[in-house]
Amino acid sequence: MVLAVKAEGVKIGYIDEEDRVQWAVRGVDLEIGSGDSFCIVGESGSGKTTLANAIAGILPPHAIIQGRLIIDGKLVLDNGRLDFNGVRGRIVSYIPQNPGTSLNPFMTVEEHFYYILRDTKSLSRREARRIALESLMKVGLDQSVLEMYPHELSGGMQQRVTIAIAIASRPKIIIADEPTSSVDANLRAGILKLLNRLNRELGLTLIMVTHDIYSAAAVCNKVAVMLVGKIVEMGEVKALLYDPRHPYTRILLNCVPVLGVKKPLKPLVGEPPRLYSDIKHCPFLDRCPFAVETCKVEPLLEPVDEKRDHVVRCWRFKELKSVEL
Amino acid sequence: MSSNYAVELKNVTAGYMVARGFRSILKQFVVVLRGVNLRVSHGERVAIIGESGSGKTTLLRVILGLLRPKTGKVIVLGKDIYRVKGRARAGVLKRIGYVPQDPYRSLNPVLKVKDIIKEPLEAYGYSSELIEDRIREVVRLVGLPLNVLDETPEELSGGMRQRVLIARALVAYPKMLLLDEPTSALDVSVQAQIISLLNSIYESFNITMITVTHDLAVAQYLADRVVILKDGQVVEEGEFESILKEPKSEYTRSLVMSYQLLSNMSRSESEESRL
Repeated sequence: MVLAVKAEGVKIGYIDEEDRVQWAVRGVDLEIGSGDSFCIVGESGSGKTTLANAIAGILPPHAIIQGRLIIDGKLVLDNGRLDFNGVRGRIVSYIPQNPGTSLNPFMTVEEHFYYILRDTKSLSRREARRIALESLMKVGLDQSVLEMYPHELSGGMQQRVTIAIAIASRPKIIIADEPTSSVDANLRAGILKLLNRLNRELGLTLIMVTHDIYSAAAVCNKVAVMLVGKIVEMGEVKALLYDPRHPYTRILLNCVPVLGVKKPLKPLVGEPPRLYSDIKHCPFLDRCPFAVETCKVEPLLEPVDEKRDHVVRCWRFKELKSVEL
Repeated sequence: MSSNYAVELKNVTAGYMVARGFRSILKQFVVVLRGVNLRVSHGERVAIIGESGSGKTTLLRVILGLLRPKTGKVIVLGKDIYRVKGRARAGVLKRIGYVPQDPYRSLNPVLKVKDIIKEPLEAYGYSSELIEDRIREVVRLVGLPLNVLDETPEELSGGMRQRVLIARALVAYPKMLLLDEPTSALDVSVQAQIISLLNSIYESFNITMITVTHDLAVAQYLADRVVILKDGQVVEEGEFESILKEPKSEYTRSLVMSYQLLSNMSRSESEESRL
C-alpha cells in the first residue's frame, strides 16, 4: 500500500521576539495509509495545527523545519529543504478552520473556483464552472450558489463551499483544520457526515484536526493524540475510545460533555508547559495525576500489545490500566 | 415598579439599522428578536440556546441595556432599564456581570490583567485599598495564580483569559451573571475547567446565571432550564430533562437528533472496524 503521508522525526519551530526557538512540533513520526481517515487530537498549543499545515505545505516562510516528510511518494521536506511543487493544492488540499474569514469577500463562489482551477489545472472559465458545479453537487449545494458572494451564504453553506473548493482540484489528501469547532450540533453532524462520505466514496485520504475526540471518532478510523508537540497515543479509534492508555487521553475522554449523560466532568488541572523550555521530561508530567520519579525522563512511544498498532508514550501504562482516574 | 423576576422581557422586538447597497445607501431596519417573552427568577440558571443568527447575543444586549428594543418592556432586577435614568439605571447595571463572547478579542491587549479587573471597581468609585484586596480575592476565586496580575492578556492561554473575563465580571459583587458562549472558543479540557468554575461560583454566591450557548451538551451543566431561540422567537422552554425526552418544536427535535446521530456515528464506526 502506498502511504499518503510519512513523517520521520518532523520538528517545526518558530523564533519568538527573544530569539528563542519555540518548538511547536517536537519530533513526530507517523504513517498514514492512502484512503485512511486520520485524526489529530490535541489541546491548543499542542502543535496539531502546525503539523497539519506542514502536511498541507502552508507553513510560514520563517518556520524552522527539521526531519523528513514524504507525501504520496514525494519527498517534500528534507531537513529544512522544502519542495511542495506539484503537491500543494494538487495532491494535498486544505479546508480552513474558519470559512467566514477564509473566503474572499470580493469574489463570487464561481470566481473562487476559477482562480484556483486556472492556477492548478490551467482550466478555462467554462471548464472551471463545470467542475465547480460538480464539486458543489457533491457537497449538497446547487447552481444558485455559484453567483453568490460569501456574505450571502450562511455559516454552514460557507463551510460546504470551502469543502467543495478543496475537492475541486481532485486532490488525494484533504486536510480539515477544526472543521466543526464553531458550529452548532445540527451543522456539525452534517459536516462530519459529508467528510465521512467524501472519504468513502471518493477514496480521499482525510486528515482531520480537532480537539473533540468524539467528533474525531465519528469520522476517522485512526487517531493520534498530540500533547506539547509530540504524539502521546496513537491507534485505531475503538482502541482509543474503549481502551485509552495514556492518562491524558483518559482525561480528555472524561471531560467531553455528552448530551443526556450527566456524568461529572473531570477537568484537567494546570497549564501546558511553555514551549521554549527544553523539555526533557514526560510532556504530561506537571499535570498527570500519576506522575512519579521515572517520569522525569521522557518515555518512548511503545506498542501496547503484540499487534503493535496501538502505541502509547507513558512509562506506567501497564500498571495504570486498572487504576481509576 | 417591581417584579418578582430577575429578568422579565415582555414581547420584546429588537434589531439593528443596517446600511445596504453601494451607490445609494439604503438604511434598513433588520429585526432580530420578534416578540420575545422571557422570565428568569432570582437565583435561577437559564441557558439560551440557538443556532448562529437566532438572536442569542442580541437578547443579552437587550438585557444589558445596550440595545433599546423597538417595542416591549425590559425589566431587569426590578427596574425597567430603558425607562429609568441616571443613578437608578447605573444601580441596576452594576449588579450585572457580563462575560463577552471571545476571550481572544475581549481583553484590552495593552492593559495588565490587574488593570483590566480593576476597571469596573474604579468606575463604581471603590476606594483604592478595597480595590487591591478585592482584586486579589477575585483572582484567587477564579483559580488564577497571583502573578498573572502583572501580565498582559497576550501572555495568557485561552482558558486563563476566560478566567480573567469571569474575574472582571465578578469583581463588583454582581447579582446576575450573563455569559455569552463561555466555552465555545476553548478546548474540551479547558471547557471542563470553566464549567466546573462556573458551577462552583453559582453554588457559593447563588447568583442568577444566564448562559448563551449553541451547545446543548454544555448547557446541561450550566443550566436547569433552557430557552430555545429560533429566528428571533422562543420556540420552546422548559426543564432540561423534559425537553430532551419530548422536544415539542421541530427545531429542538432536530437538534437533539443530531446529538444522538453524532454519538451513534462514533459508535457504529468503531463497531465496523471491529468486524
